[in-house]
Amino acid sequence: MATTNGEYVIDLHHVEKIYRGKVHALRGVEMQVHRGEIFGLLGPNGAGKSTLVKIMMTVVRPTRIGGTLLGRPIGHKPTLRRVGYLPEDHRFPRYLTGRQALEFYAALAKVDRRTRKRRAAELLTTVGMSDWADKKVSTYSKGMMQRVGLAQALVNDPQLVLLDEPTDGVDPVGRREIRDVLVELRRRGTTIFLNSHLLSELEMVCDRVAILVQGKVVMQGTIDDLTAQSRRYEITIQGAAPDWAQGDPSIRVEVLSDGQSKLIVQGSEPGPMQPILDRLRGESRIICAMEPVRETLEDLFMRAVTDPATGQVLAPGASPPVGRSGKGGRR
Amino acid sequence: MTVVAAMLLDAYRELNSKKLFWITLVLSGMVVICYGSIGFDEDGMSILYGLKHVDSEFIKQGSPWARAMYMGIFSDFVVTIWLSWIAIILALISTTTIFPDFVASGTIDLVLAKPITRIKLFVIKYLTSLLFVVLQVGLFCVGVFACVGLRLGEWNWMIFSAVPIVTVFYSYLYSANVLTGILTRSAITALLLTMLFWCGLWSIQSSEVLLNQFRFMSQIQAERAQEIVDRVEASLATADDAENGVSDRQRLRWERELDGAQEDHEQAQELEQTLTTWHRRVRVGVIILPKTQHTVGLLSRWLKDPQGFSIIAMMRGDMTGMMPGSNANRPTGVDAETSRRMEAYYDDTSPWFIITSSLGFELLVLGVACWMFVRRDY
Repeated sequence: MATTNGEYVIDLHHVEKIYRGKVHALRGVEMQVHRGEIFGLLGPNGAGKSTLVKIMMTVVRPTRIGGTLLGRPIGHKPTLRRVGYLPEDHRFPRYLTGRQALEFYAALAKVDRRTRKRRAAELLTTVGMSDWADKKVSTYSKGMMQRVGLAQALVNDPQLVLLDEPTDGVDPVGRREIRDVLVELRRRGTTIFLNSHLLSELEMVCDRVAILVQGKVVMQGTIDDLTAQSRRYEITIQGAAPDWAQGDPSIRVEVLSDGQSKLIVQGSEPGPMQPILDRLRGESRIICAMEPVRETLEDLFMRAVTDPATGQVLAPGASPPVGRSGKGGRR
Repeated sequence: MTVVAAMLLDAYRELNSKKLFWITLVLSGMVVICYGSIGFDEDGMSILYGLKHVDSEFIKQGSPWARAMYMGIFSDFVVTIWLSWIAIILALISTTTIFPDFVASGTIDLVLAKPITRIKLFVIKYLTSLLFVVLQVGLFCVGVFACVGLRLGEWNWMIFSAVPIVTVFYSYLYSANVLTGILTRSAITALLLTMLFWCGLWSIQSSEVLLNQFRFMSQIQAERAQEIVDRVEASLATADDAENGVSDRQRLRWERELDGAQEDHEQAQELEQTLTTWHRRVRVGVIILPKTQHTVGLLSRWLKDPQGFSIIAMMRGDMTGMMPGSNANRPTGVDAETSRRMEAYYDDTSPWFIITSSLGFELLVLGVACWMFVRRDY
């Protein structure tokens, strides 16, 4: 790729992780995240999403890795000062209040005392937890923990935020608020790496996504790009499909149950549709509906996790090792 | 510095949230109150703030025995029993959850993702975990310092040496607790294994002390038997030279006494040799492992009276003999002599050796724990 590292906030190459020689969790992940975008990482359970995030945050040691995070090699500790992280199922010490937790983690990120106190107060208000700020976290619900967790990830005013299932356990109102926070962060130039199962939410906020299946990135790009090949027009007509349509390889015909037929034409441009419509009208066919159709993120996801050879959904989880690669240094 | 301060504050908050911390503090306060209830006047000593009075010509206001007793209660009983056993057990119960909780999934992720190296994180967490003992013993010593000052009129800052001594003692055990905590991630298992380790240390050190004690006893018995042999042989020699009317009966009695003494001497020597061999073997273990009892024993050594007035001497019955102007001899029994030799033997071991060799083992244990902490995926 003819780009420099400076364009990418995250630039990962051949990331590999084998857990204690038993589970091959990541098998050569290649991934790039641009500055100032919201990037979504999708994948079935056990695909290696959390492992990948943990490797970037130095929580898990990679078997092999290349690339950079904010322009510095992965694992460079001082860089983490500019990174925020919300792990999946995070747990704050139960003896701390929400405010104390934020200030504690800000101090670990080497934020000075005055700034961390100000940031903690601001963020608790932003995530709607100011009334609970001085209560022990042991009294918080799961949703409240997620809100404070998000605030914790932002307490050091990071340039990059990695969020692992940030809306897990959060009610719809809370999810919307979190979404608004993310959009506002992007507006201010922060890059967000989002790891989530909630495809509809990702679709709403993500600029680009990657789909990880069995430790490999199988798709990566903007949602528009990834769904481009699935874009089509569907024309519903009364009665059986004309013979010429059935003989045209660019048109797929489906017979509907109520005596109607559907002509499916691949493509995103309306121009090529006009001759087909003219011909149908010329034959006095009744056109019931015509609509442009695009794959949803869920369709895209299902396509990615389906084995094209068998049509079966791939088994969840990472596959066992097929033999350790000799390339790269073990870290 | 920000990180250290934050983790120190966090350690305090964690302790503050534990009921056992406060229970231990209250119990410590009660021990100090009891300690302070002992007082001295011109006629003797009073207990329970004057509720009971004991007349004594030795233990009274201004006497060296009063000082020896009061300081001895602190260094040989309060520190040895309360601070080194009961308070340490409570401290271990309170702090055993610290590392297993710290490395629990969901908690450790938040910390490891910060710009601090794992080694630094481990070291700071370990040192701040010792706060429990530092605070407990520190506050306890303030109370004892005040008691000693008010009761003896002696403002002895050496009392505060109990803080590093007990902390170091606790750290020997806590290092094992940290290793097992990281290894098993289970607080209960870590606590049980630490207790087992402590029992092991205690057994080895007690065995060494017992073997040493028996060795000295045999040594003294051999010396005493040799003295008898020498005396009887001298008597027989005198009798042979002078031929001054020593009866055959007397000669026979001396010869029997000589045979008995020679047999006793041989037996005692043989036993001493066997005990010395075993003592030497057990001592290797004592040298390698943390010396918990010796470490705490340093406090008695540092607080003892330079003239030899001590609570141990009182218990040994040396009081009359050590009084100024007294012509009475010190007790010369085997037990008293053994006790003196034991004291001299252990006093000869340098504090530097006791502390550094023990800390060396602790460092090894912590090194393994740290290595596991650094290498592990969470």
